Amino acid sequence: MVTYIVRRLITAALILLGASFLVYLLTAASGDPLEEFRASSAPNKQQLIDARTELLQLDTPAPLRYFKWLGGAAQCLIPFANSCDLGKNIAGQPITDALGHALIQTLTLVTGATILAILIGITLGIVTALRQYSTLDYGVTFMAFLFFSLPIFWVAVLLKEFGAIGFNDFLRNPDVPIASALAIGALAGVITAVAAGGAMGRRLLTGGVAFLFVSAVLMYFSATEWFKNPGLGPVVIAIAGVGIAFAVTLLSAGLKNRKALQSALIAVGVGLVVYFVIQPLLDEATFLMIVLLAVAAVLVGLGIGFLMGGYDRGQSMRAAALTSFLVGFLILLDRYMQAWPSYFNNSRVRGRPIATIGASTPNIEGDFWILSLDSFTHLILPTLALILISLAGYTRFTRASMLEIMNMDYIRTARAKGLSERTVVMRHAFRNALIPIATIVAFDIGGLIGGAVITESVFSVRGMGFLFLDGIQHIDPNPVMGVFICVAITAMVFNLIADLAYSALDPRVRVKA
Amino acid sequence: MAEDAGAGRGDAAGIEPILEARGLSQGQIVRKRFLGHSGAIIGLVVFAIIFIVAFTSVGYAGIPGWWKYSHEDVSPLVNDGAPTASFFPPAWGEHPFGQDRIGRDLFAMTMRGAQQSITIMIVIGLIAGLIGVIVGALSGYFRGWTEAILMRLTDVIIIIPALLLAAVMAQLAGRRDEGSWFASFASNNGVLAIGIFLGLISWVGLARLMRGEFLSLREREFVDAARISGASNGRIIFKHILPNAIGVLIVNVTLTMSAAILTETALSYLGVGVKAPDTSLGLLISQNQAAFATRPWLFWFPGLFIVLICLSINFIGDGLRDAFDPRQKKFNAKKAAETEAGPAPVTAFTELKDN
Amino acid sequence: MRFGRISKAVGVAAAAALALSACAGNSGGTTPTTAAAASKSGGSATVVEVNAFNTFNPNTADGNTDINSKISYATHSGFFYIDNKLNVVRNEKFGKMEKSSDDPLTVKYTINDGVKWSDGTPVTTADLLLQWAAFSGYYNDADSEAKTGTSYFSYAGDPTGIALTDFPELSDDGKSMTIKYSKPFADWEIALGGPGIDIPAHVLAKKAGLADAKAFVDLLKTTPRGDSKAPKAANAQLQAMAELWNTGFDSKTLPADPSLYLSNGPYIVKGVNQDQSLTMVKNKDYNWGPEAKLDEITVRYIGDSAAQVQALKNGEADIIAPQASADTVEQLKSLESQGVTVEVGNQLSYDHIDLNYSGPFAEKNVREAFMKSVPRKDIVDKIVKKLDPKAAPLDSQLFVPDQASYADSVKNNGSSAYQDVDIEGAKKLLNGATPEVRIMYNKDNPNRVDAYSLIRESATKAGFKIVDGGLGKSDWGKALGDGSYDATIFGWINSGVGVSGVPQIFKSGNDSNFNLFTDPEADKLMDELIVTTDKSKQDALITQIDKKIWASAYGLPLFQAVGVDAYSDRITGVKYMPNQTGVWWNFWEWAQK
Repeated sequence: MVTYIVRRLITAALILLGASFLVYLLTAASGDPLEEFRASSAPNKQQLIDARTELLQLDTPAPLRYFKWLGGAAQCLIPFANSCDLGKNIAGQPITDALGHALIQTLTLVTGATILAILIGITLGIVTALRQYSTLDYGVTFMAFLFFSLPIFWVAVLLKEFGAIGFNDFLRNPDVPIASALAIGALAGVITAVAAGGAMGRRLLTGGVAFLFVSAVLMYFSATEWFKNPGLGPVVIAIAGVGIAFAVTLLSAGLKNRKALQSALIAVGVGLVVYFVIQPLLDEATFLMIVLLAVAAVLVGLGIGFLMGGYDRGQSMRAAALTSFLVGFLILLDRYMQAWPSYFNNSRVRGRPIATIGASTPNIEGDFWILSLDSFTHLILPTLALILISLAGYTRFTRASMLEIMNMDYIRTARAKGLSERTVVMRHAFRNALIPIATIVAFDIGGLIGGAVITESVFSVRGMGFLFLDGIQHIDPNPVMGVFICVAITAMVFNLIADLAYSALDPRVRVKA
Repeated sequence: MAEDAGAGRGDAAGIEPILEARGLSQGQIVRKRFLGHSGAIIGLVVFAIIFIVAFTSVGYAGIPGWWKYSHEDVSPLVNDGAPTASFFPPAWGEHPFGQDRIGRDLFAMTMRGAQQSITIMIVIGLIAGLIGVIVGALSGYFRGWTEAILMRLTDVIIIIPALLLAAVMAQLAGRRDEGSWFASFASNNGVLAIGIFLGLISWVGLARLMRGEFLSLREREFVDAARISGASNGRIIFKHILPNAIGVLIVNVTLTMSAAILTETALSYLGVGVKAPDTSLGLLISQNQAAFATRPWLFWFPGLFIVLICLSINFIGDGLRDAFDPRQKKFNAKKAAETEAGPAPVTAFTELKDN
Repeated sequence: MRFGRISKAVGVAAAAALALSACAGNSGGTTPTTAAAASKSGGSATVVEVNAFNTFNPNTADGNTDINSKISYATHSGFFYIDNKLNVVRNEKFGKMEKSSDDPLTVKYTINDGVKWSDGTPVTTADLLLQWAAFSGYYNDADSEAKTGTSYFSYAGDPTGIALTDFPELSDDGKSMTIKYSKPFADWEIALGGPGIDIPAHVLAKKAGLADAKAFVDLLKTTPRGDSKAPKAANAQLQAMAELWNTGFDSKTLPADPSLYLSNGPYIVKGVNQDQSLTMVKNKDYNWGPEAKLDEITVRYIGDSAAQVQALKNGEADIIAPQASADTVEQLKSLESQGVTVEVGNQLSYDHIDLNYSGPFAEKNVREAFMKSVPRKDIVDKIVKKLDPKAAPLDSQLFVPDQASYADSVKNNGSSAYQDVDIEGAKKLLNGATPEVRIMYNKDNPNRVDAYSLIRESATKAGFKIVDGGLGKSDWGKALGDGSYDATIFGWINSGVGVSGVPQIFKSGNDSNFNLFTDPEADKLMDELIVTTDKSKQDALITQIDKKIWASAYGLPLFQAVGVDAYSDRITGVKYMPNQTGVWWNFWEWAQK
């Protein structure tokens, strides 16, 4: 195992060396760095050309320049020497600085989107696999392919037009006319009916309930101007909490496990009490505090489950922990909603919260809630756009993987020995279907920091993709190489992790030592 | 890059030869299953129509088409460039899709763009398929040094950014006949050159999948049998193993192809794709993206064709995947749905009898 | 992301200041009058720019992008600024700039008392001297061929004018400085001292290890003029200072040391959010020039034009100036119902088609025939009319319509012969010949591609065989003048308006004379032009040259590029400006409603 890893790392280093040489030469050959001066009639044209030639060392042949660059880059390997030198870009900024900044920008932009896309994609994949060739399956397949086929800059323009400009206009005077409320309700009803599955009667019933519920809620929201002063309140949290408790128990332990259900419900009760106690504390919130509170919520859940015990203590603990985490999330959501009016009326925001560009409102001031709401309103559109286009991959892949597993002999065996469908799907099929997906996910995370060139461009985020593109446009190898090195190293490391994870998860696959 | 997520990724599952069906060849089974997949059939029909119309309307490779304009012809603006096609009364009009700002016919441009996009797609599919199969087969079958060298080669290619290669490509295509033969080829056949270039870098995923297939198939009994009866390596690879891996191959080639159109669109948006005055669907929508609110037809028609081609190719690929997967049939969707609704384990048991 | 903006900006920024000189006619000491408008002071505005800020010194070769110049413009003041009619407006509250003698040309600069940097240090001639040292390249003795000597300040602008001066005379009180030119220099008025004196000499001196600004002045005084033929060892102290000037002010964030971003203008930088935004607030001390109204100006960076329009629509931006295209303009016009104001105007660059004086075009008849077949009206109608309904074909090789002399020159320069397409006339001139013409243009520029398509369509009718010689963006520039084509469509960014740009393009054997136009009489006129400081004489000379160029069937100017800006109903006082300063030229008049 160790020999395997060492061997992989050594080959990786050699590959990196070869590929970086290639990339450097390609960048140098990808255009004319003096193009902008060629058609100039400035009297000092030659002087400008000379300055640029000197800056980019164009007199030196590209292969030699590569070794100069390599000399600087090699210093990055010396630990703690802090002598990393990846050169400077055309504007004179050291690449190491530019990379650091760009990395943060890119990660803020794509992390949430990737995680959500993975979660939603896997869920949809499993559901469509379980209902192969149903309306739902066809619908999801069609939508996934459709979104996959849309160019992202187009999606971005549409999202900005309707998701930001349109929604902000709506917020100015948040009235939902009864007709619209009914229409949205009907749409929700149809979707639920399709998704529900089962017999026609059952579908119609669920669809009808969803229609009534959504329409009524929308009308209520409109009447109470909820969109201006949103909030959940303890009652909604309690009702939603109980729902969560049932759903979590159903998926993780099965409703037959009474102890698990009771643990989950107790967790909801504790959450409600905490809701009142914690409000003053939340006013002073920091990011660290929220993380600690989330950990605490999970621990409390585990504790409840442990105390309740039951024939399968682990299941109770899991159900309660998950429930208390989700209830905690609801409480957090409620607090964000409480902060909404003051964010909405902030003098920098001026009543148009959903943003189309950038990562934050310039010069905005406020507490933790205001600032994180600000990030949220800026991230929502790019995140949506990225989710829409990358959903297809995960959905289709999970579906295929799940379908294959569902036909395996051990699934047949599991069914034959009388296990409930829940156990078969959640415990036997789902976990095994996740194995190939895990490798794909590792792969994608490796590619994450490459940034999303076009998304960054249309949402005015200057991350890794922008840095890379800017380097290519100026035929300036330094930023290109900086981004390339970062992306290649993470990609190769995660590639290795994916292979190792595969062999760890699937005992049939062994790495060659 | 996250835009590429989902591109060229497919089913890594091992495909076993079909044993269960009596009296039907693999081809017949696949055909039967494929024809039963309504999405795939619709996709095939739509794609065939687009293909035929695109290649006959404005002509191809010097052969004139039936449409009165070519994508380069400038004609006077009719109706301020807005589309003349209408449903009531149904009429085609002078410029059914409208015209761009200097009066080129958008129908002709869209058709030319579709030709070019389909060409890129097919070239990429062929090249990536061919290299992917060869590299995957050789490394999976022979293992050892062959595998080590070929797999490290794929590692190198996989980490070299496509955007950079495209930029180099675009630069070469912007040159005139001077310099190397490649530059002159690229400048005269911009679209073909982009297809070849992208094909040369998009085979890696396919090669990995094929290698996986070969690794598992070469251990199978029928391969041993062939070897004992004295078959050569070439024969084993092409006659015995490859036909068993064809499902994975075809499915992934279609996925690579639909991703290729989007890659071309993205490259055109970034200014390193097909060069004007020639055109492609990607170039058309990226040139006209600002027209979205003002002259939407310039944006919608080429966009519609991209989506249609991508969707139809994806559905064809989806149908092929299902058709080639021998186990798919065993999992009865309706029964499974019923079992899921009720927790009764008995149902699950009865279902098994179907097999 | 669109290509070419940055490159364009770099080119324009250096050269357009020069270009303006031709319009510097009525500049007699008008002190700017801040219109006593009804709009109150205070408030804030958000302006969108394409590029991200990266240095507080916009004069260096690396830092010379439009955004850096604009920030510097808003945070510094000087002896003059340039208004949107392209006049040089003197700021006499800052100081006085006077021409005391014509022969030799002598200019005296006097800085008023009370003008100071934001750290309280007065602005003195030491600061002006620093600018002079950097702009003139006085101390450089580098020889790029022989690789000897030292080049100190890496200045991006054109040193030719200011390099004609000797070491300035400085008054003892540090308030006035006199420079003497060895030859008359047409553009003396904008050569030095504005629009901003942006680098404080006392900071530079201190950072380079000198005691104060006085020590700095002494150092410069004692250092002799550099001579590239007899290079000396580099002066270490001067080199240290030049190094600081070149890179010491580069920063993508707000430096911890406030002396790196001192202001002597209406605003001072308050915060820089790397690659996202930059915020400036009013400089409280400032009272030596037009008074600013807004309390705060925020600059945000958005590259994509469509994203700029949507940001304006969504209230995230108040003032934008996206790259103009018919669709962008139309989209902006549709926002007028929401109170958005859209301004469209000309820019200082124009597209043109030039014919080589060789190959098929060696004969004048063929050139004339080709020019007759170029559909200029059609090109303008289809490419720029949608943006600017007033657009018309450009009829002069040297003037643009914004200049007073344009109309006079057009009347008798012979352009009237090429107003409309004359296929019959062209056929007659060709007399049955069908010359093959290879047209070279930038394939990556949609305007050029469309102009090419239209010309091809029309010239084919006249009997020309047109060959598509278009090249990609990284190759067309290299091909200019290499004889591989017969005609070329491209744009001059800065010339045609500037005096020193004229011989650069049209004089025999010069660098940018790509089609090898040669006319001894025109050459003589151009020699006279560059030493003429009188505006009306300049115009008369240019008019004559213009006529000669047209008479030789040089080629055709096509149209002027169009620019656009738009601002929301929160803001007033924004005015269109054709040069690279853009809407920023009168930022002090911006106010919030």
